[in-house]
Amino acid sequence: MARALTGYLYLVPVAVCLGGTIVFPILKAMHMSLYHHVLFKPQEYGFIGLGNYSALLRDATFWLTLWNSFVWVFGSVSLQFLGGFAAALLLHQSFRGRAFVRTVTLLPWIVPGVVVALVWEWLYQPNYGVINDVLLRLGVLRDRVAWLSDPGLAMGAVIATNVWRGVPFFAIMLLAGLQAIPDELYEAARVDGAPVTRRFWHITLPLLRPIVIVATATRIIWTFNYADLIFVMTGGGPANATQITSTYTLLMAYANLDFGYAATLSVVLLVVMLVFTVLYLRVTRGIESVT
Amino acid sequence: MSRGRAEAPERVLRGPVLWTGLTLLTLFALGPFVWVFLASLKTRADLYATPLRYLPAQLTVANYVDAWTSRLTPFSRFFANSLWVSSVTMVVTTSVSILAGYALSRFRFAGRNALLLIFLATQMFPAVLLIAPLLSQWYALGLIDTYQALIYSNLSFTVPFTVWMLVGYFDAIPRDLEESALIDGCGRFGALCRIVLPLAAPGIAATAIFAFVTSWSELLFAITFTTQTEMRTLSAGLLFMVGQYEIQWGQLSAGVMISTVPVAVLFTYLQRHLIRGLSAGALKG
Repeated sequence: MARALTGYLYLVPVAVCLGGTIVFPILKAMHMSLYHHVLFKPQEYGFIGLGNYSALLRDATFWLTLWNSFVWVFGSVSLQFLGGFAAALLLHQSFRGRAFVRTVTLLPWIVPGVVVALVWEWLYQPNYGVINDVLLRLGVLRDRVAWLSDPGLAMGAVIATNVWRGVPFFAIMLLAGLQAIPDELYEAARVDGAPVTRRFWHITLPLLRPIVIVATATRIIWTFNYADLIFVMTGGGPANATQITSTYTLLMAYANLDFGYAATLSVVLLVVMLVFTVLYLRVTRGIESVT
Repeated sequence: MSRGRAEAPERVLRGPVLWTGLTLLTLFALGPFVWVFLASLKTRADLYATPLRYLPAQLTVANYVDAWTSRLTPFSRFFANSLWVSSVTMVVTTSVSILAGYALSRFRFAGRNALLLIFLATQMFPAVLLIAPLLSQWYALGLIDTYQALIYSNLSFTVPFTVWMLVGYFDAIPRDLEESALIDGCGRFGALCRIVLPLAAPGIAATAIFAFVTSWSELLFAITFTTQTEMRTLSAGLLFMVGQYEIQWGQLSAGVMISTVPVAVLFTYLQRHLIRGLSAGALKG
């Protein structure tokens, strides 16, 4: 009994930290979402029940942001996965300078998000950016393109940036998975005369499945919530072409100063995230019982 | 291991395909940084030359000096702010998560598994979700434009991950050593300090660096809870520089390098531990 009490005592600091910075703010967001609370209209402040939620359902921009979030998540994660898988297969080989290449591969993932955003803004810059210059020299483009201010191109451009940032994550996760596959399996298959493609399909892919699922699920949740890149690069523009639900939440708080509505969006994000997390835990539990 | 006679497709895969792939991978990852690094060393004339000049005709460190000493966007001040906020966050995070990680690893009590699950789930919590409520919370407490607001807020994303990682490290340390210390009359806390901490030191260092680096990179809290230039961190300062006037790409590139180098160095050191923690954390689910 006394031992159990000491155990709880060690947890008091962590409870204070997370209580004050996560639990209480979330309860507060739920509370705020029931109020009309626009900073520059203090005279209109008041309880409106589910008013913000019904406004949300009628808000065409909100539905657009959900669709944009889907495009953003699907585009980013699928390409990050493909790039990361290719990188992991390369890094799994033994060659001179492997440690160097591996560290370099990690760089895009470890630098601050705002740095990634600004670096790519500079690469995309219409007049002095290197991307237009290279594409013009190669003859792919005839005229300079304003990547981030063309509504048809902006989403593709921010996704490309996010792919660059996310490839290392998949690369190291899948590399860890590849290194966990016993060499004997490959040797046995080689002795049996299985060509490299067969070994890939029948050994590598099936054994990587668990880590692929875990990494992809983590990445989906994380990308859905990730606002920094888009926020810095386009602010959700042009004309909401890159507005995803999480940047829309920021816009409501920063630009519109509508805290009731921003809190409502936060609650919606929370619900979406919890659904994802429950699904994720279901799936990973399944994996654990198989392996 | 004798490879024997490798089949033709395999020889191609090991030779040209591998080297082409590695070259592309290195270019892909490093190219943008090289471009910005070059930009940071260019004069105005080189930066805005038509046609584009890839290599600077004349090397200059003026951009770094300007960024560091500028009165409108003082990177020396931003750097000091980032250093302070990240260091304090690191110390608090580490202390709090050592206690929590140790308790979760060594004591058996009701709700232990539920707690572990909560730490896993809160790792996925987006900052966006907390912005509006935290802002009104810090405002009510009079903490806007203080380091405390940033440090407290940072704990929301550093602590869950470090606790999760430390539980793993503590689990790997044999209990026998502590048990004998306990018999010798050491208290629980004494055993933690004298036996467990020295053994877990590499893991603790890794989690501490993790907390430092993620706080260093944090953007949204930093721009939301500060309004004065003197209170900006590097991330916030960079963004502020963009919003202020026509973008000075030379200075901005220098600022980008200043913010990047410390985390790149620390992460290189952290790499091995972090990858282990990540893949273990993900697979434990």
